[in-house]
Amino acid sequence: MRQLILCLVPTLWLIPAGVRAQTKPATVLLADRAMKVDDARVEAGDLWVTPEALAKINRGEIKPEGVCIGELCIPVTPKDGLLRQEGDKKYVCLTKLATKLKQSVAQDAEQNVWSFGPIPAIEKSNQQLLLAPDFALPDRQGKPVRLADYRGKKVLLLTWASW
Amino acid sequence: VILAVAQDTGGEAAAGKFYDGAKVSFPALIDTQHVVSSLYHMVNVPMGVWIDEQGRIVRPPEVAYSRKVQFLTIKVDGDRYAAGLRDWVEKGDKSRYVLQPSALKEKLGPRKAAEDLADANFKLGVYFHQQGNKELAKKYWQEAQRLNPDSWNYHRQDWSFTPAEAMTKWMAKFKALGGKEYYPPLEIP
Repeated sequence: MRQLILCLVPTLWLIPAGVRAQTKPATVLLADRAMKVDDARVEAGDLWVTPEALAKINRGEIKPEGVCIGELCIPVTPKDGLLRQEGDKKYVCLTKLATKLKQSVAQDAEQNVWSFGPIPAIEKSNQQLLLAPDFALPDRQGKPVRLADYRGKKVLLLTWASW
Repeated sequence: VILAVAQDTGGEAAAGKFYDGAKVSFPALIDTQHVVSSLYHMVNVPMGVWIDEQGRIVRPPEVAYSRKVQFLTIKVDGDRYAAGLRDWVEKGDKSRYVLQPSALKEKLGPRKAAEDLADANFKLGVYFHQQGNKELAKKYWQEAQRLNPDSWNYHRQDWSFTPAEAMTKWMAKFKALGGKEYYPPLEIP
């Protein structure tokens, strides 16, 4: 019986025939963060990272039903080619995931720096609830301050610039 | 509470002296990547958003001066903005300056894919600027400006690093607006 159930769960992990990707440290930019990803792989203009790196980058998690980022889960089928396994290592394609999420990507191929824009679905859900998007930024002493620290108070969020 | 956020890639070195000069008593933050402008779809400064005790927006981003401003053809009724702000602080949700959810949702509306791509390019430029790679910073900042020409922030941040030309460039872009508003008009009763 146990075996039967296992058979019914399709694997999302594709095992590629030939390995063409090269391992190359990448830098991923998202919101206010720049993250070094040591064992990233780049292939045909796509960026692949390990599930551990995905968790670090955007709290992403791979579940049987798909990829979840915080509360947002998107279904993934093997056809999407988003996940793959090479030997005992698993990789997630960050750029294909971005396409599925309608998230914009700008990259410098030579320096291997990848910059990801906001996720429209998360933005939309915030807007529907009129929730002020949270952020963490340093104060002048470098101490991180979150908008959410001020729950219970009225906030005038005020941008300005020296230029 | 006022949460002031400097949209300054130059960091403390650029923004610090202004905070000192104003002797600010409220939280003074520094946002080298323009994260707040990105999250709240702001293309200029100064902009303000009113957020209530539950973390909900009650007025969308809008030009936020505390007194009347008049410069060239730019006119902002900052005094009315400040009066509205005081009214909201006193009356909360009952303030007539608090927008209805339906009106707010309309104003917060979705942004275009080009704006998101501009955002990703701008951040790439900031990264290279912070790495000391001026050439690549310029390349991605120009791409951000091309994708979102309405963002004064993307342009002026870039120009701030060549201060001798900044004013001329600003003036040329300002003239190119023709009759269009520099700031979206303040819709405050």
